[in-house]
Amino acid sequence: MRPFAYERPTALRDVVGLLGEHGSGARLLAGGTDLIIRLRDGSLRPDVVVDVKRVAELDGEIREAGARVRFGALTTMTDIVASARVRRDYPALAEAALFVGSVQIRNRATLAGNMCNASPAADTAPALLVYGAEIVARGPGGSRRLPLDAFFVRSGETTLNPGELVEAIELPVPDGPRGSVHLRRTRRRGHDLASVTMAVSVGRDGRTRLAYGSVGPRPVVVVDDSGTLADPAAPEDAKRERLDTLFADARPSPTSMRASPEYRLAMLRVLGLRGVTTAVDRLAGAR
Amino acid sequence: MTGSQGYVADLPHDDVLHVKLVALDVARARIGRIETSGALAVPGVLAVLTPADLPDPMPRFGPQRRDRPVLAVGETKYHGEPVAAVAAETLDAAEEAAAQVRVAFEELPALHSIEAALAADASLVQDPSLRPGDPCAATNILHDHHYGWGDVEAAAGDAEVVVEGRYDFPMVTQFAIEPHAFMAAPDGDGIVVWSAIQHPYWLQRVVADLLALPLSKVRVIAPDPGGAFGGKQHAKYEPLLAFLARATGRRVRLVLTLEETFQAVRRGASSVHVRSGFRRDGTLVFRDIEADYLIGAYADIADRTVAKGSYTSNGPYRVPNVRIHARSVLSHTVPSTAFRGFGNPQQIWAVESNMNEAAEQLGIDPLDLRLRNLAGPGEAFIPHDTSADGDWAQAVGRAAELIDWGGPRPAGRGRGIAVGLKSGPTTGLSYATVRLLVDGSVVVNAGTSDMGQGARTIFAQIAADELGAPVDWVTVVMGDTAVVPYDQQTSASRSSVLMGNAVLAACRDVQSKVRAMAASAEGVDQAAIVVDRGEVRLPDGRILPIRDAVARGLGRLGGEVMGIGESRKEAEPDHPLGGTSAFYEFNCTAVEVEVDRETGDVALTRHVTVSDVGKALHPGQVRGQDEGAAIMGLGHTLMEHYILDEGGRIRNLGAIDYRIPTTMDLPARMESDAIENADGPGPYGAKGMSEGALLPVSPAVAAAVHDATGVWIRDLPLSPERVWHALQEATAEAADR
Amino acid sequence: MTEPLPIELTVNGRDRRVEVLPHHTLLQALREDLGLTGTKECCLVGECGACTVLVDGRSVDSCLMLAAEADGSVVLTVEGLATGGELSPLQQAFLDTSAAQCGFCIPGQLLSAQALLAEVPHPTRAQIEEGLAGNLCRCAGYEQIIEAVRAAAAGAAEAPAIPPAVGDRAAIPDATVAPQ
Repeated sequence: MRPFAYERPTALRDVVGLLGEHGSGARLLAGGTDLIIRLRDGSLRPDVVVDVKRVAELDGEIREAGARVRFGALTTMTDIVASARVRRDYPALAEAALFVGSVQIRNRATLAGNMCNASPAADTAPALLVYGAEIVARGPGGSRRLPLDAFFVRSGETTLNPGELVEAIELPVPDGPRGSVHLRRTRRRGHDLASVTMAVSVGRDGRTRLAYGSVGPRPVVVVDDSGTLADPAAPEDAKRERLDTLFADARPSPTSMRASPEYRLAMLRVLGLRGVTTAVDRLAGAR
Repeated sequence: MTGSQGYVADLPHDDVLHVKLVALDVARARIGRIETSGALAVPGVLAVLTPADLPDPMPRFGPQRRDRPVLAVGETKYHGEPVAAVAAETLDAAEEAAAQVRVAFEELPALHSIEAALAADASLVQDPSLRPGDPCAATNILHDHHYGWGDVEAAAGDAEVVVEGRYDFPMVTQFAIEPHAFMAAPDGDGIVVWSAIQHPYWLQRVVADLLALPLSKVRVIAPDPGGAFGGKQHAKYEPLLAFLARATGRRVRLVLTLEETFQAVRRGASSVHVRSGFRRDGTLVFRDIEADYLIGAYADIADRTVAKGSYTSNGPYRVPNVRIHARSVLSHTVPSTAFRGFGNPQQIWAVESNMNEAAEQLGIDPLDLRLRNLAGPGEAFIPHDTSADGDWAQAVGRAAELIDWGGPRPAGRGRGIAVGLKSGPTTGLSYATVRLLVDGSVVVNAGTSDMGQGARTIFAQIAADELGAPVDWVTVVMGDTAVVPYDQQTSASRSSVLMGNAVLAACRDVQSKVRAMAASAEGVDQAAIVVDRGEVRLPDGRILPIRDAVARGLGRLGGEVMGIGESRKEAEPDHPLGGTSAFYEFNCTAVEVEVDRETGDVALTRHVTVSDVGKALHPGQVRGQDEGAAIMGLGHTLMEHYILDEGGRIRNLGAIDYRIPTTMDLPARMESDAIENADGPGPYGAKGMSEGALLPVSPAVAAAVHDATGVWIRDLPLSPERVWHALQEATAEAADR
Repeated sequence: MTEPLPIELTVNGRDRRVEVLPHHTLLQALREDLGLTGTKECCLVGECGACTVLVDGRSVDSCLMLAAEADGSVVLTVEGLATGGELSPLQQAFLDTSAAQCGFCIPGQLLSAQALLAEVPHPTRAQIEEGLAGNLCRCAGYEQIIEAVRAAAAGAAEAPAIPPAVGDRAAIPDATVAPQ
């Protein structure tokens, strides 16, 4: 690994200061499960790595804040899987977090880090998107919040401004019963990078939100307002047709070695229909 | 278990120099100037070795052909072939310096498929000057092999049903969890080389030859490999390290990254065409096999894998007319080498898939088709070679019984069955010494490499049984050519048989010396004394523990009783493989799968594997070997393969995109069983084992996928996407009809 | 500054102070600076688990953690499992079931199993499969490794049921295993 300096600030303003000082030469380290791989393969060559795990204002807690559930920047996948609250209210997120790597990886990988890497294949992104997540960003000018959908640009690129970091991720508390699920396609059953990753959420209002990843340069969320997908009685063909329309913009990479575009697009539809079916079933089972 | 076992990378040496290889990120290139000044300027760098620093002509080595250069000279011939090497005081410095070595090069088109390498206008991978007198030197065919008996052409008319197909097998890699590690150090006027190698004595010869040293001045220390699977049989970078040790006068160590191991070892890819003729009742009339193996840029032991995999490729069947033609095809890819199964899995994938397709076409149950044609015990199924040395139908029957072959299949599931046969070692020479110490404890010296197959335990167990010592009083010393007597090699599942017999013979030698001692002490005739299982039985009926007899016999000076054992399997120059098979490994595998027709996912619901082992010397280890081999077979069956780009670079280097089975990829239910008829040539009737259970996995799974879906797939791996494509095509074809 | 940093950590019950380079991983610090070579190096991308150790009780791939991050932590490596020359129950179970073949992955397997049993004393097979999925065994002695973990668990006292945070995907409330 190429040498770099290591900083471990204890105050958020110091993190912001280091980011200001080093610009793109600084890289934030939370869980490190993606960063350290890229430091080793040379695709990232920072001058300084800023470890944010001891910053007083950052935490790994999952707690209710008003009408939202807040995930601190240091919340790990293991924390999410273990949270009864997440399992109850955001099951697709718990399921997605359980698919992120092995136990060892989940013990370190953070939800915020998963978003900041902005991998199109990030498994937790679709779940966060269907639940309407917001990013709480902190920078030199203070905090701002932005919808997660407005956060992703393309692989590795977000709308964070220079000098900004993610302080927390927030999800609205559900306003009524819903059914939701996470699904994915991989090359083996053991942990693997997804060739399609998807979350589906169906509400009592008949709206269905689907988000998918690994089928284009960034995760995408689409909404079905027609009620067709949420309708258990709607014919399968009608649902397929609806999904075709919703997925019309999926653009899988033609050069990926993990799966062909043809297969990804086909699986997007298979997972879409399965996801909708499971989500509708879960909604029916929800009190 | 406690972390104390020292693998090569673990051996503590404060004075060691770290080595980093320099390779180009292309498969094939013409090498121009190599600029080392930047690298040499990195603090802590002691040497940057380039071809110019090595003897001219470039020293070459290899177990079959001396074709592999110590460093690439003139041209790199595969992705990852080193063109230079750096030695530095720290790994950081070595890595930085390696990145500073500037190599001028011109990328050249690489041949990385069988078709491309065999094209009439293909460039030559190896310079014909390396192949003097070789009739194939003007082609990329390294060797043409022809085997067979009877007359296929004449028999063709007798066949009522002919079934044929082509079956492809991809490049896969050993992926030992211990990446290869090598160390070398000057030692007076000689050299010491450490390597996690399966054949330390062979390596000793290679190094002695390259450095023009007597064997006695080359000491090879071979700590137990952390997994090898064939990938650590033959020299790879040990010669380079030996030259670096000489150049620096220092101890040097190279630990490969996992990515670099992918560029050091792999299995040969293949394309095999099988044509089988049957009578309508299922009796095999002829078999005609054309096999091409895509080997790498240098021969390594690849052509031997082609020979051994092809020679028995008709399988364990009674077939009067067989024609086998196999070719080793050179290419600009990583040199393929030995890998569990040694050339056989590729052929068995083809021939057993062909048997399963034939069963369908004949309307005969695939189990019955096999039982009808399987050679019986003692039958000469390969003329002029070892006869069938097991009751193979028993293994097949046991597998069928375990999976309830004739019983109803759960809805939506498919079942498949296949068998695998592999010939064991064709020659061999192993020595062992056994020392019975004055207190009754035992030291065994045996030159086998224990890479996880459990040889150490087996030898300890044999010595303990024969000499009456508790097993934890036996120490087995291995892996040091300066201390342990010669062993030809650790391969072909030979060690329990060949080295096992040598250890047994050495124990018997000790026993006979104890008998002489006891006779002298008791003043009776030797012939009247029995030494067996740690006891000395005297003619008057008294029974002495062997340690008492030894202590008494050795007298006041103490000492020990030394036994020497030798086990030899002679070469037969006229035999196509240079010798008959010491034994056969036979396995029958039956699986049950569930296929997700929408996604192409194949889930193993059952996996039954039954091997004929003669005698299970250590049942726990036998099970571990069989189940491990079975799961390794599931790896290449379901998920493993190199993905090359157009230029021949390996795209999926490393663990992220080369997938091997995890605990979550296991069959829902795995059952293994061993057939034990004590009919093997090893100790107590044992046969070699540890490769068999891998052999028939692919054809069994493909047959089960067919049983579940109606689709035959003739290429591996049976990845979700491949299965999905096959199902899509089948659906489209059905719609066209 | 790319100068060495002093860190303090407790390794296998012993307080250690060591200077590490900022770009060196915990794996390097353990193997090279502390001489604890029982922790193995293989893939260096967090896929194989050969380098698994416990940091403050949680299993991590030590190849994906900077040594500097471990400052102030409590680390357990394979060398710390046996006490007073006695194998731990888990180590003994691995031995008894012939779970180790080449042995190279075993330190990592033991630590993952240790972490699993600490959290779920009596895991289901699915939980064991999930808990050990980050530890590749190319000898593929998985069946016997799983048996060893079950045997070690069987020897442990019954503990009050706690919701599993690792393991069973089927244990997520109301979530059948997501179709893959």
